[in-house]
Amino acid sequence: MKKKMSNRTKTYLCILIPALILFVMFNTYPMINGLIYSFTNYKGYGKFDWVGLRNYVDLFQDERVLKSYLFTFKYALCGTILVNVLSLLMALALNAKIRFKSALRGIYFVPNILGGLVIGYIFSFFFTYILPYIGIAWNIEWLQNSILASPAYAWIGVLIVGVWQAVAMTTIIYISGLQTVPEDVYEASRVDGASKWTEFWKVTFPLIIPFISINFVLTTKNFLMVFDQIMSLTNGGPAQSTESISFLIYRNGLDGGQFGFQSANAFVFFLVIVIISVVQQLITGKKEEQL
Amino acid sequence: MKTFRKIMAAVLCVMMIVTLDGCAQASEDGITEIEIVSYKREAIDVMDEIQDLFNSTHDDIRLKISSPNEAMTILKTRFIRDDYPDIVAIGGDINYSNFLDAGLFMDISDLQALKEVKEGYLDIDKQLELVSMDGVYALPYVANAAGVLYNKDIFNKYGWKIPNTWDEFISLCQTIQSKGLTPLYFGYKDTWTTLAPWNALAVDLVDANICAQVNKNEATFANAYREVATKQKELLKYCQPNPYAYSYTDAATAFANGEAVMWPIGSYAISQVQSVNPDMNIDSFVMPGSNDPNKNILNSGIDVQFSIMENCPNKEAAYEVLNFLYTDEVLNMYLEDQGGVATKKGEFPIAEYLKGMETYILAGEVADFQDHHYPTEMAVDAMIQTYLLDKKKDALDTFLNKFDTDWIRYNRDLIARVQKEES
Repeated sequence: MKKKMSNRTKTYLCILIPALILFVMFNTYPMINGLIYSFTNYKGYGKFDWVGLRNYVDLFQDERVLKSYLFTFKYALCGTILVNVLSLLMALALNAKIRFKSALRGIYFVPNILGGLVIGYIFSFFFTYILPYIGIAWNIEWLQNSILASPAYAWIGVLIVGVWQAVAMTTIIYISGLQTVPEDVYEASRVDGASKWTEFWKVTFPLIIPFISINFVLTTKNFLMVFDQIMSLTNGGPAQSTESISFLIYRNGLDGGQFGFQSANAFVFFLVIVIISVVQQLITGKKEEQL
Repeated sequence: MKTFRKIMAAVLCVMMIVTLDGCAQASEDGITEIEIVSYKREAIDVMDEIQDLFNSTHDDIRLKISSPNEAMTILKTRFIRDDYPDIVAIGGDINYSNFLDAGLFMDISDLQALKEVKEGYLDIDKQLELVSMDGVYALPYVANAAGVLYNKDIFNKYGWKIPNTWDEFISLCQTIQSKGLTPLYFGYKDTWTTLAPWNALAVDLVDANICAQVNKNEATFANAYREVATKQKELLKYCQPNPYAYSYTDAATAFANGEAVMWPIGSYAISQVQSVNPDMNIDSFVMPGSNDPNKNILNSGIDVQFSIMENCPNKEAAYEVLNFLYTDEVLNMYLEDQGGVATKKGEFPIAEYLKGMETYILAGEVADFQDHHYPTEMAVDAMIQTYLLDKKKDALDTFLNKFDTDWIRYNRDLIARVQKEES
């Protein structure tokens, strides 16, 4: 610190330091705290003992934790693909020359504004009472039992709700992506006689790859963290078939007296999300095209 | 560097103000504030009344009772932040055991009100201690009773009688079915409701201290719970189709509307049922688990009890509050609103809907809920739900083996302590 700081540096520091302190206070500090607790048998209150790496060893042998990872990844994979395909289709439709374009865009965005729990409870009613009622009235056998009550298919119910809600935001990002593609490249492709199909794959698609990349990262992350829908639709059931990682961390960490163990789980989950995000960035980053 | 220091100083000041604000609830004008967090969300109205009554008769103490949703989770989250209320109103279950074991509660042996508590309930609290302790740490308030609620009007209409043995119970279910009615209703979507029939059957069929026996390596759950599990699965033949689709509230609504004749649940569900159908004629009976009527015992646990936190600064004021809560007047206010069984010695009216259990209540033939000894994180309720859903032939063995292995895994530290103390 021999050199006197310039005004510029001071300004930067003024802006940076409060943000940094807040970040450390509410993000880094709790995380380090959690990491420390992950080496204890802390219940969340009272006395505790150090148990070394026992929690981490247990983590890889715990059937319930493994099941929750399987469920979460299955859910995130299906969710990410479905959301992105549907959103891209919606975005293409909403970007075309159609009537009431702005109004429709507004309406399709509504699911994103509603709270996850509200939607969950509404859909829960829909799955438990309305669909089976229709099933009985029209004699459709597979509709007669609530999908949320079946250990094999309950996750699909949760997935439907998750996708329904996530499509809204993703579509908006795709629409803005589509609008960055300049009209002249389309004109050029039309002059070359490209069909609509070729035009999409050879022109639109490469140019919106940055948006696809960001959407994949965002949706994957959101689907991996699934919580509200589970809380309101199935509460982890039936037969623990829809317990996501976040849900398990919350349930057993805060409610169930496994604070230490679930801190270990949370830390491992954090690493997993970081790795997935980095890998995704590396893969999609290579494919980006610049005009 | 100077500027940097200034900035740091400013930031630290802000941080101090922020943190100071959190604990700036010191008493004003010599009034002591006592905060109770109650886990009985459904009792919120009567708790408010009690709070107002207390505050109108006391000038030096201000009582604040809050009954938040998911109170247990809220309490635990507050404990993690070292933020404690003065008194907690919780049930006599595993949470109480854990909090007590963690040294969170104050010894209240010298509390006046304790002299008036029925012995049986003090014993139940004693059994909840993970490792035996000296002193008393909770004031039992109201107990509940679990078994089978039934629709008295339908019973009277057909002239059905309360069954005293398992076989009678099953044949009653068959009779009800033959009349085209649904005998039982379950809300198994809420996993915890699977524990209601489980507990009611287990008190009749299994020793009350089975968990302690297993911790000492003297018994296995595989032997103890085989009959309980088999019988609970048998009940599925007599309930509505697909019980896993319906929640506790759904079940209460269906029972209140007469869609089912019986509902195996506890007296705590009465207010939920009455909120749907206030005029319903409800009674309850003890679930007969075996074919020997003498083995029937009422499944009753402490629904609400008060414990003072170890670090409560105003012990005197907290004692004043507890003694007030235990007066006949206040206790009657609570019972009238919430029902249940008084833990206090003396004559307290037994609610209409508990008449079928009256003999057991008066004779004190009660046994605590077995799940009060299960660790929450083991999720026995979800295990039972999984087992009930499992249609494979070896479902029973899978379930029982899992019960034993999971028990050891989740209670490892406790078992080590118990066995160390034994030797």
